Amino acid sequence: MKRQEDVGARRQGDGPSSAEMAGVDAVGVEPEARGISSGTRLSVFARTLLVQASWNYRTMLGSGVAYALIPALRALTDDDDALDESINRHLEHFNAHPYLAGIAVGAVVRLEAEGADPTTVRKLKLALRGPLGSLGDALVWATVLPGTAMMALTAFWLGAPPLVAALLFLLAFNVVHLWLRAWGFRAGLTAGRDVGRALSKADLSGWTRRLEPVVVAVLGVLCGAVVGSDDGLFGVNPAWTVLAAGAFVVGLLGGHRTWRPAAALTVAAIGVAAIVGVAS
Amino acid sequence: MGIVLLRVDERLIHGQVVIGWGHELRPDRYVLVDDELAGSQWEQDLYRLAVVDTEVDFVDVESARQKLAEWREDHRRSIVLTRDVATMRRLGEGGLLSGEKVNLGGIHHGPGRAEVLRYLHLTQQDRADLMALAEEGAQVSARDLPDAPKVALATLLED
Repeated sequence: MKRQEDVGARRQGDGPSSAEMAGVDAVGVEPEARGISSGTRLSVFARTLLVQASWNYRTMLGSGVAYALIPALRALTDDDDALDESINRHLEHFNAHPYLAGIAVGAVVRLEAEGADPTTVRKLKLALRGPLGSLGDALVWATVLPGTAMMALTAFWLGAPPLVAALLFLLAFNVVHLWLRAWGFRAGLTAGRDVGRALSKADLSGWTRRLEPVVVAVLGVLCGAVVGSDDGLFGVNPAWTVLAAGAFVVGLLGGHRTWRPAAALTVAAIGVAAIVGVAS
Repeated sequence: MGIVLLRVDERLIHGQVVIGWGHELRPDRYVLVDDELAGSQWEQDLYRLAVVDTEVDFVDVESARQKLAEWREDHRRSIVLTRDVATMRRLGEGGLLSGEKVNLGGIHHGPGRAEVLRYLHLTQQDRADLMALAEEGAQVSARDLPDAPKVALATLLED
């Protein structure tokens, strides 16, 4: 009981937020002090890997989130009825990008451990579902996934055996994927209800913006590789590879206005390469 | 210019608003009118996450009523959001929203709420509030996304 009072007092004061107090060391969540052992944390995290397993149109990730929370909720009460009640609360509709859902799960674990009232926990989840969806879609589905897939395809066109290319994709994608999940869960756990500030500091959309030129460059290299590799469509000089990549990056860095002309130039370059290749 | 959208949506800023309406209307800022949010920093931080490079302001109902005229004249384009019908009613009370279009977005199922449209569930009080807004000159209609059909209040309230 005393611990919860401490937490409450800290929350009301003007002092640094819990996220700031935890600082850079995201591991330092003082797990024992919160009644959530590291074993419990690990088990909740492992369950977040299955957050999509019971995906449905009605509650979307809701049941997956409730399932992930069970070990933590169980650690926080000895009363079966209270446990049922808290699991039921978390079964309601929730949606987010699956890899970022752990941020919400982590923050909820923290809030529940602090003894936050259900309304606060609910508000946090309601406010998180939109941003966690759009941040994740932009970062993972629109950037990391196509980037790593095209990287592997490029390796294939440049001569890597199919199996190696496939493994390269699985490895590259899942390193980012699993890191993102682990980072997110820890960030949520550390920040609790200050997760909004922690997330804007982490600047996921900034990372998306920074990765975009890389992905587009990979696309350029891929186009070039398809056209220019030994086994490529037209067997032309691999220098086109560099040209194609360059045009894409210039277009992207130049912003919205130059993107289309640059893409058109790239296609034109590939077209010329094709004609030269066929003619020679 | 001014207020480009005045909307009731329980999720406030989220994908449908940012992508659907935001891309169509190109707002310079979102104004979230809500007494509770106006005083809750951590919740504000969360809602700010939903948009990139667009200002988000949080205003309580009383201040919003005073600023409505100013927002209409402002060169910035504002999307004004409330999370429920009651807040929109309070914002408009006394004819402040006369001549404005009031858009009803998502209000999902809950206790005492009956389905009016797939995305719109209203209580009896909501219905009364909407009629009051309309009587004071607001043009109330429902539309979840810019390219979805617009449903007029009269159609919404007929049983």
